[in-house]
This record gives sequence, structure tokens and C-alpha cells, in this order.
Amino acid sequence: MIPALARFVDALRAEGVAVSSPEAVDAARALGLLGLERRETVRRALAATLAKDRTARAAFDRLFDRFFAPVRLPADGKGKGQPAGAKAGEKRKRRPEPPETSRHRSPSERESEKKARPGLRLRERRPKIVRAPKRRDPAPEPSRRELTRRMTTEEERTIAREVPRLVEALRLRPGRRRRQARAGRPWLRKALRRATATQGVPFVVPMQAPRRRAVRVVLLVDVSFSVARAAGLFLLLAGAFLEFGRRARVVCFVDRPVDATAAIARWMRGGVRAARPGGRARPGDGIVRGAVSFADVLTGIEGLNLDAPSDYGRTLHALTGARRGVRGRDVLLVVLGDGRANRLDPLPWAFEDLARGCGGVLWLVPEPAARWGTGDSALPLYLPSVDVLVEATDLAGLATGVAELRRRL
Amino acid sequence: MTRPVEVTPESITERFAASGFVCPPEVATALHLAEALGKPLLLEGPPGVGKTEIAKLWATFHDAELIRLQCYEGLDEAKALYEWSYGKQMLYAQLLRDKTSDVLAQAPDLGSAIAILRDEADAFFSRDFLLPRPLLQAILAKRPVVLLIDEVDRSDEEFEAFLLEVLSDHQVSIPELGTLKAASPPRVVLTSNDTRDLSDALRRRCLYAHVDYPSLDDEIRIVESRVPGIAAALTDRLVRFAQALRKADLKKAPGIAEVVDWALALTVVGADSLSASALRKTLGALLKNREDVERVLAEPGRYRG
Repeated sequence: MIPALARFVDALRAEGVAVSSPEAVDAARALGLLGLERRETVRRALAATLAKDRTARAAFDRLFDRFFAPVRLPADGKGKGQPAGAKAGEKRKRRPEPPETSRHRSPSERESEKKARPGLRLRERRPKIVRAPKRRDPAPEPSRRELTRRMTTEEERTIAREVPRLVEALRLRPGRRRRQARAGRPWLRKALRRATATQGVPFVVPMQAPRRRAVRVVLLVDVSFSVARAAGLFLLLAGAFLEFGRRARVVCFVDRPVDATAAIARWMRGGVRAARPGGRARPGDGIVRGAVSFADVLTGIEGLNLDAPSDYGRTLHALTGARRGVRGRDVLLVVLGDGRANRLDPLPWAFEDLARGCGGVLWLVPEPAARWGTGDSALPLYLPSVDVLVEATDLAGLATGVAELRRRL
Repeated sequence: MTRPVEVTPESITERFAASGFVCPPEVATALHLAEALGKPLLLEGPPGVGKTEIAKLWATFHDAELIRLQCYEGLDEAKALYEWSYGKQMLYAQLLRDKTSDVLAQAPDLGSAIAILRDEADAFFSRDFLLPRPLLQAILAKRPVVLLIDEVDRSDEEFEAFLLEVLSDHQVSIPELGTLKAASPPRVVLTSNDTRDLSDALRRRCLYAHVDYPSLDDEIRIVESRVPGIAAALTDRLVRFAQALRKADLKKAPGIAEVVDWALALTVVGADSLSASALRKTLGALLKNREDVERVLAEPGRYRG
């Protein structure tokens, strides 16, 4: 129970509830006194010790319901102790709550959902979630440093220096697997390998399934202050495998989407020379390619207001209505962002619209999973439309995301 | 003398109920934890929900004396902790003047007279001349006490900071006497009407329970236990009416005590429904603001549900 309580206290702190260590100790003692048998007793014990005003109590109740979900036992009494909804033998996974979507959908969306057209692929309600390995090291190596934390430009530079190493590691990992098929092109490599068993005589020539149409990739990248660092590193990593401008587009956004393909492509080639304005350090100052930092690239992109609060709803809505929108079965939409909509309307139906229009959706979240859906995060509302969700809090996490991206190219 | 009872949320709820108080489960749990962890309990909530009553019943529960410190703007250490009884000191000094002269007569010169005075004057700053105020009373008490620090949000922030030492160490420092520490730490209950934000430091040292207006069923039970013999239909109507008033934007929403008073008033005038005339006669027991009364009397139908 103590680790669970510690995680809960952590999450409360992330919500802005200042919990001191003595208070956490009180909470543990209170649980020891009252026992864990009854959920409401646990709630009261923790509330009395951890939530000490009304705003704290509201955050507490929200988090408590998410952390300590009531256990529902199956009717036949088997599988006692399994978490709610888990089948026997299924590995336990903690997933974000299914969102209460109905309130946030446009009437037309709800209508169309009722009579789902035949032939339309209904997305799985729950995405595959790729979690980061647990972090225990108090002073982690650069590629495992949490990117949303405050850090100096020098520390950022240290992390960015790891990018080439990770790119090399990614190149060694298999990309998309080829499939064998009855008909198709002869699979030469496989034929040669098989033939070694028969002293080089290829009795059977295996065939290779025809290649899928090349995938177009749209990177939708949140470059607001808190995630700009992750965005820069992600673009550096992804840029090693994508050719921006040909089959890959980059759309940056803070409060509205701006096509940044040309600017990022120039940066990748090392072609731009932006004048460096002095002043305080910005996230991205240490992510440099060809003597130009990512922060400079962002300042140079026209129409991008870096000081605005990020507005997911407006961005997504603008993209659904864009003339050269994100649409097509061959489009892979890759989103990088924390889903924090600053209490502005997150318009999840706009994202659902976007997602339905393309072949797959991959979302990289530069925030620890414990904070997903907390505070102003609208992430759970977007989840039903996402195929793969990657916890990318550090450079290694971003690389995992890029590996997922490569498997779909 | 009541026999000591094991402190559990259930026993608290039961004993409070025996005194006609419906104790919310959060409060019962918080009281239990306060007892077990030896921490002060901060009760916060709108006025008139029975926070002070909880402290009184808590004292009864432990068969302890209730020492109450009512906070107000400008409350300072002298009023909360201790004072030297100036009058008594003066009186004693007058009465003992001859004795003082005798003592001083032995002194050959001024310097030795001052030395004698310095040794003897301490007698005037002993416990005999100390006027303990509620906080010191609670610390010096030989018997178990419950210290109620009422409406702490009305005191100044300086006083709140001063409270921290008392609450965390159960001791006070008096320059002339040294540090006085409680033999057994008093049980402390603080109440706040949430009129201002208390400091985080104070909140951190306390356990916390928010006391809100009771639910419809609970309030009906409260009225029935306080006003025996009241008709069930009338109770239901008057409690619904009062709860609707709390949702309306009134100057002063009615507390539980006012609802009970109103129920009593209605039985006294012999009303069996909330007719316009019954309302006009009794509404003064429920609402304590002229504008509120006029507003409700203008269209009572809005609140009848």
C-alpha cells in the first residue's frame, strides 16, 4: 500500500495540492489505523490527512476515484482480486479512465455514431499504450532525464548530444516486417536462406506480399513552452527517418496550426541562419543543428505565437477544415503533445474527425503517465481515437515513439 | 461520570447521536484520527452547521472540560495566553510596603538595596500573579481538556503564526517563568467559517474535515430529534424550504440551529403547513436579515419546491 500511497501523493502534488512529508506519514498511519477493507473509510482517512481545503478536496476526489477504482468481482465469484474489468489470466494494466465523451461531442457526431456506416472501420476504443520503464535512478543518464522539468541550456545540450547515438540504435532495430504471401514478388533473401538447407537448390521460392502504398506522415507538434524541448528532440530523431517535404509534413501549433515543413526541412539540412535574439534562455536553445537552435527555428516560423496558451480545440478544428487537410487512408498522423488544453474547449470530436480521416494515429505524450488526465489535461478525451499512445517523458521515450512510427512506414 | 468508551468512528457517531447530533462520517473519522494521531482537528464550513457543537460534544465524549478561545480581529497573545495581574501586584506591593521597608533597612547603601529588590521582586512575577488565558489554561490543566479555538479565520495572521508553536509543541514560553509544557497534550479543535484562507503551515499541522449543511434526510432527522412531536409532513416541508433558501442567493443562509428554532416557532404558533400567515409570523426565527425576509415573503412559492 505504501508505494500506491506514495504515487497518489505524487499525483496530488502534480495537481497543485501541496502535501508535506509529515502529512503523507499521517496518511499512512491513518490507513494503518482504519484498515483498507472499505473504500469510503480509506477515502475519509486520506481526505482528513491530505486534502486540507475545498479546492484540494475537489482535486483529491477526482484523483481518488481514478486511483482507487472500486473492485468489481465477477458474478460467479471466480477470479477474486482481479482488477475491475480484467479477464482471468490477462495481464494487469493501468489505463486512463474511459472518457465521458457524450458531453463533448457535436450533435452530428453523436448522430453519426449511432448509425455507424457499414464498412467504416470502427477504431478500438482503447489504444495500445507503450509505457516507459520505471525510473529509479535519482541522477539518470541524459537520455532518461525528464524533458518537461526545468533545466539549463547546457543540460539541454547534453541531452541533445545523445540524439545521434539513439538514431543509430533505431536504425539497427527492425522497421516494418515484410510478410510472406502466396503471390507477389519473389522474396530473394528468404529464398537464399531457405536454399542453404538444400545445398543451394531453391525448391520453393517464397513470395513477398506486395508493398503497401508508401505512407504519408503528418507530424502535429505542440511547441508551447512546456513541451518545446521534447518537440525539438523529437523532430531531430524523426528527421533521420523521414524526408520532410516529400512524404512527411510538419504542422507546429500553439494556439493554431502552422505548416512548418519548409522551415524544419531547412533546419534539418542545416540551411537556415536565424538571427539569435538575446534575452532569457528558452527551451530548445540547446538543441542545435547546423549552428541553429530549435528555439531560433521556432521564432523564425511565421504565424506561430509562442507566447499564447496552447489551444488544442482550435488547432484541431482548423485542421479538420483546412483545404489541404490531413486526410487519406495512407496518412499516418503523429501527434506530440501533452493534451493540456488550458481549460479551453478541447473539441474531442474534431480530433475524432481527423483521426477517422487517416489511416492511423500515434500520440507521443511528453508527460509521465501518472499525470495524464489530471488538471487541464484533455488527453483522455482524445484517447478513443488514438491507435498507439507512447509515454515519452525523456529522450529514450521519444526514441520509442519514433520506433513505433518507423514500424508503420 | 460517563464511562470511558473506545474511540472509533462508530462509537463517536453513536454517542453524538444520543445527544441529538447527526455526525457526518467524515467528521467522525477525522475525530478518531485526531485522537489516535494526537493532532489538532480543523473543522471548516459555513456558519451554523454545528462546528462548535461538535467540539462541545467531543468534550462530553471524553468527560473533559471544554476551554474555549473565541477568536476575533485584534486578538493578541495577552488575551489568548496569559497576563500578569497588574492590579493584584499593585495591591500586594501596597500591603507589603512595611515589610519591604524592613527588608530594605538592612541595606547599607543603594547598590545592595537594588540587589535585595532584584532578588525579592521575582516574588511578584510568580504563578500567584499569573492570569492564565484559554491557551495557558489548556496547557496547565491537570484534568483532560478539549481546547476549542473558535472561528480562527477571524483572527489576524500574526496570531495564527503564534498558534503554530502552541499547536505543534504544546508548550508556551513566558520570559519570567520559563517554558511551560503540557503534562498531557490537550485535544484541540479549531473551527473556521472559511472567510479567509488560513496559512498552509496551520493547515499542515491539523487534520481537516469540511462540515457542510446536512443532506435532506439528515436534517429531517435532526429536526425530529430536537423538536419532538412535530408532524412528519411539516418537518419534510420546512426542511425542504430551508434547503431551497440555502441555494438562493441570500445575505445570510439559515444554519441548522435556525431551522430548529423555526420548527419550534412553527409548532408554537400551531401551524401545520407553510401558509403565508404562518411564514409571516415565524420567518424571523429562520432569517436574520430584513431584506432576506422581505424577499422570501414576496414570493414564498419559489422555495416551497
